[in-house]
Amino acid sequence: MKMIACTEGRSDRVEAFSLEMINAARSIAAAGDEVVAFFAGQAAKAAASSFGAADRLIAADAAGSDLIPAEAYARLLRDTIAAEQPDLVLVPYSANGLDVAADIAARTGWPLLSYVNEIKRDGESLNVVAQMYGGKVLAECVVKLPAVLMVNPGAFEEAMPGPVDAAKVQQFDAMPAIESSRVKMVAIDVPDYADVDLTTAERIVCVGRGIGDEASIDIARDLATILGAEIAGSRPVVDNGWLPKLRQVGKSGQKVKPKLYLALGVSGAPEHLEGMSHADLIIAVNTDPKAPIFNVAHYGATCDLFDLVASLSDRLQASPGR
Amino acid sequence: MNILVVLRMIPDSAGELQLAEDGRGIDREWLDFQLNDFDDHALEEAILLKEGSGATVTAVAIGEGANRVLQMAAARGADEVIALQTEDDAMISSRTIAATIAATARAKSADLVLCGVQSTEDVFGQLAPYVGALLDWPHVSGTNRVLPDGAGLRVTQERGAGVAVTYEMALPAVLGVQTASKAPRYVSGSKLREASKTPIGRATLEPSGFERSAEIRELRLPTQGGSGEDLGNDAENVADRLVAILAANGLARK
Repeated sequence: MKMIACTEGRSDRVEAFSLEMINAARSIAAAGDEVVAFFAGQAAKAAASSFGAADRLIAADAAGSDLIPAEAYARLLRDTIAAEQPDLVLVPYSANGLDVAADIAARTGWPLLSYVNEIKRDGESLNVVAQMYGGKVLAECVVKLPAVLMVNPGAFEEAMPGPVDAAKVQQFDAMPAIESSRVKMVAIDVPDYADVDLTTAERIVCVGRGIGDEASIDIARDLATILGAEIAGSRPVVDNGWLPKLRQVGKSGQKVKPKLYLALGVSGAPEHLEGMSHADLIIAVNTDPKAPIFNVAHYGATCDLFDLVASLSDRLQASPGR
Repeated sequence: MNILVVLRMIPDSAGELQLAEDGRGIDREWLDFQLNDFDDHALEEAILLKEGSGATVTAVAIGEGANRVLQMAAARGADEVIALQTEDDAMISSRTIAATIAATARAKSADLVLCGVQSTEDVFGQLAPYVGALLDWPHVSGTNRVLPDGAGLRVTQERGAGVAVTYEMALPAVLGVQTASKAPRYVSGSKLREASKTPIGRATLEPSGFERSAEIRELRLPTQGGSGEDLGNDAENVADRLVAILAANGLARK
């Protein structure tokens, strides 16, 4: 079986989940199978020096383009698929992967499963576990090869970084595909972390949809102040404009690893868990006992969050030694 | 500009989901269905484009409660509304409906197809890239800003860690909207009543053209709780325990 593990990078760095995709392929590779890493972007050099867990690297070098539009990435991947005839293509569930996976599936007609957590081989097919309904349900599926799988970041360990044997690196120029792309990149905005950087915060109080309305954010903010924590929000809270984008935790926000993560009214969609599940101490409060946040929480409570915030604030303010 | 926007009715994930008896689906009998949140943002982006540049907006809704949501779409400014009939009690697979959406886009001479970037039932793939690939139109997913730009669009996409990328793209195109340029608007009861007179067109699902993506052998609920400790539902007790837990973890002081 030949597998293509799709990898990504921005500027001169590769994304950490790239090594997870290689490891996901490696984990089901038998003797004689081949794991081919596919990379398209500016960091072709970094890819060659870190994707050694793959048997080969096919790198479309986009020197001069910090990021590559998904349309160009998908076109380069299609060419690679046509040349390599793989049995399986693993695409990361990322901003880029969202545009690439179904595009490839539509144009090849191959099966596609998204939000994949587990992959096992079963003869000529794969047994795959995929998430549905915001992580509340797991689907055990049988997929016939060839197929495309869009794999959740964090579902597989990272492969050991190391150089790819120079003879096993096939590099070509990505710029023609970028230049002929109907989607042209005109600007990349990287946020200024001067005001707040959740990624270095030691304590975070995160509010989710359960906070109800904008005025209630202040109650959580007061608790955060008492705890010496940064206030943060899940996507719905930030989309509503109740907190600034820089305070968003999750896939499209920041990935954080504080010593304390207190989640108030956060349901814990997979995209949120991706951003915070490695926190040292996770305390979750949600009235829905089936909320997926409890799957990663060290301590969970199902009481009303406003009652709890009031009680906890009182006790912390009254506690001696503060 | 002619815009086609797709509105999918999906089970309310905040509610309790129960598995069907055969274990291959969820029990849909008592579920609340609501408009996919991302599709709501796609609708808003469509209306904002209409207000900004005089587009016409056709809304296609799929699933239980489609008529209700189409009236809401008309009240918000959609010019034409169509309910797409699907099998009862079937989940809305983006892979399955993509061919019909693509055909509708052609029939309506659409320049732009807008839909939410994801839905909770798109385990077989996301709608925007499927439709884009079928039509061979460029597609961008995860947008949070869409502006008319000459004959095309200027589109901003979220890339994670707060990084945003702005693209220029020609029409026709397909966008998977994550967040509209402005939060979705509320509509008044009087506008809703007025819009309830809007005739709702009917359409049926065409064959997907794709082979089945996978066989769902079994659905299951994730193991609850992991190794976490349940502190219960009494706020006073929970607060007492948390004070102790914070202290034990060296987090009592700032």
